[in-house]
Amino acid sequence: MSQLLKANGLSVSFGAAKVVDEISFGVPRGGTLGIVGESGSGKSMTSLAIMGLLPKGGKREGSLDFDGTELTALSEPQMRAVRGDRIAMVFQDPLSSLNPYYTVGTQIAEAYRSHRSGVSRKAAKQAAIEAMERVHIREAGRRVDDYPHQFSGGMRQRVMIAMALSTDPELIIADEPTTALDVTVQAQILELLAEVQRDTGAALILITHDLAVVSEVADELIVMRHGKVVETGSAEQIFSDPQHSYTQALLDAVPRIDDSIGELRTTGGKA
Amino acid sequence: MTRFVVNRVAGMLLVLFLVCLFTYMVFFLLSPDPAVQICGKNCTPERIDQIRENLGLTDPFLTQFWNFLSGLFAGRTYGGGIECAAPCLGYSFQTSQLVTDMIVQRLPVTAVVAIGAAVLWLLMGVIGGLLSAVQEGKFADKFIAGLTLGGMSVPNYVLALALQYVFVVWLQVLPFSQAVPFADDPVQWFLNFILPWSVLAIGYAASYTRLTRANVIDTLNENFVRTAKAKGLRPDLVWRRHALRPALTPIVTIAGMDFAGLLGGALITETVFGINGVGKLAADSITKNDQPVIMGVTLLAAFFVVVGNMVVDLLYSVIDPRVKAGAPA
Ligand SMILES: Nc1ncnc2c1ncn2[C@@H]1O[C@H](COP(=O)(O)OP(=O)(O)OP(=O)(O)O)[C@@H](O)[C@H]1O
Ligand SMILES: [Mg+2]
Repeated sequence: MSQLLKANGLSVSFGAAKVVDEISFGVPRGGTLGIVGESGSGKSMTSLAIMGLLPKGGKREGSLDFDGTELTALSEPQMRAVRGDRIAMVFQDPLSSLNPYYTVGTQIAEAYRSHRSGVSRKAAKQAAIEAMERVHIREAGRRVDDYPHQFSGGMRQRVMIAMALSTDPELIIADEPTTALDVTVQAQILELLAEVQRDTGAALILITHDLAVVSEVADELIVMRHGKVVETGSAEQIFSDPQHSYTQALLDAVPRIDDSIGELRTTGGKA
Repeated sequence: MTRFVVNRVAGMLLVLFLVCLFTYMVFFLLSPDPAVQICGKNCTPERIDQIRENLGLTDPFLTQFWNFLSGLFAGRTYGGGIECAAPCLGYSFQTSQLVTDMIVQRLPVTAVVAIGAAVLWLLMGVIGGLLSAVQEGKFADKFIAGLTLGGMSVPNYVLALALQYVFVVWLQVLPFSQAVPFADDPVQWFLNFILPWSVLAIGYAASYTRLTRANVIDTLNENFVRTAKAKGLRPDLVWRRHALRPALTPIVTIAGMDFAGLLGGALITETVFGINGVGKLAADSITKNDQPVIMGVTLLAAFFVVVGNMVVDLLYSVIDPRVKAGAPA
């Protein structure tokens, strides 16, 4: 598999604090890269660095080769054209990530319209409904006019995923997409992401601190700690032969969530 | 929605009733005998008794209060044949005019003061707040913070007198205020209001600036703003749709309540600038101890505040989809 995104010596720093420290990884075209690590290890900063959306004061260094384009060399308007269109993002907390003042349809359509000039409001709404149907929101035609607070947590995350896939991106970055959700819907959301990926051929970066989750879906895996990549390889490699004691420690935590793995397998999650 | 409105109106009536009861108790039971006041200096005990009789002051408290309440809704006729149409607030001990008439005459100018001030403080507050939010931590932000601190800490009457001295007496760019009807001389009319508008607006503008700044900065840190950026939305759209609307909605609603409060009259400002509005009426009747007028103005102010609150609540349920009309407040 050729690489869609290649990060080389990517760093993020806030003043003197280097929260992502010269990491390198590749995302295979149409494949899944899992990024695992404990809280504060720099996973979110890595994803925001790719999007060019670091918080104020954050500085990005290194190289990000996205399908032959050096993202770090793009101007802000050029990057804006990539954002949400070629690279879409699904955030951790779907409630706070959706604007309470607008219907979900408006917010999905907004993503769609901002990358397609001359799309009518009506066509964009239709696209929003279709996107909602693709993430299995029932009665999408009616629910498109509902507000985020009228949805359950899992449904909100489906809305976020609909928003991401509405523009047919080449890469979807999901930053802990299930952490804020009930255990019972976590597996469904992961399954949905895998399904979206199968259907659209988009590549996926799946960020989690749950090694069990990512081992189910990821082709490649990097394990991060304190801003550094401490382990990299295929999921099987890392599972069968963890090189780093930290990875071992993460693996030891796996049996805790064995149930959700089982569920994932039986519901046809990508093995 | 209907239940929500009915509930709110019922609550509003209850509050107004309690305000009535309370003010009636304070003004008519705890203050000096109005009959003595009305009677004046050369007064005979018989005359005082006669006045008491006419005013119904010999009745027990509850009867008096009931008469007052029914006068509000149905009007009443005082002993001696004085007619008082609904909403009857009694008549002035000093001028014998009906309180309702006195208030109605003065309401328009008070409304002009309130509207002008509200427009001014919203403009200043929102623009100042946006500017300091955008320039957070930079010079403009600190400069505006200094101004707002000043605006908040200078008392209204000091500001009124100072501005009057500077612009009218010293620089002479504004005329001494003199009541002119708008139709006669619109320019003079407008110039008259510039200082009162400014004085009232400055205090509010200061707190609105702070509020706007805080709201905008908070909103810009919201996750949904990050989502909007992650969609690749143009910055102006991120601002307009995702930052301004959530940040400014609460400000507009608060402005509604403050505005309602001002409709009850701006005591100090109207008095300093000689504006013959409800506020000046209140101030004058306080100095003259003209109880029915004081009470009338108090009830009017309470009425505007309570109604203003209700309107704002109803509006809020329209503006903010999360506030479901009918849900317990
Ligand atoms: N705005 C900021 N300024 C300075 N440091 C920051 C800022 N935001 C995050 N950091 C630091 O960057 C480091 C990495 O944070 P990041 O959010 O990437 O962690 P994470 O791996 O995503 O953790 P989690 O699992 O909790 O989401 C943390 O130590 C954090 O304190
Ligand atoms: Mg994170």
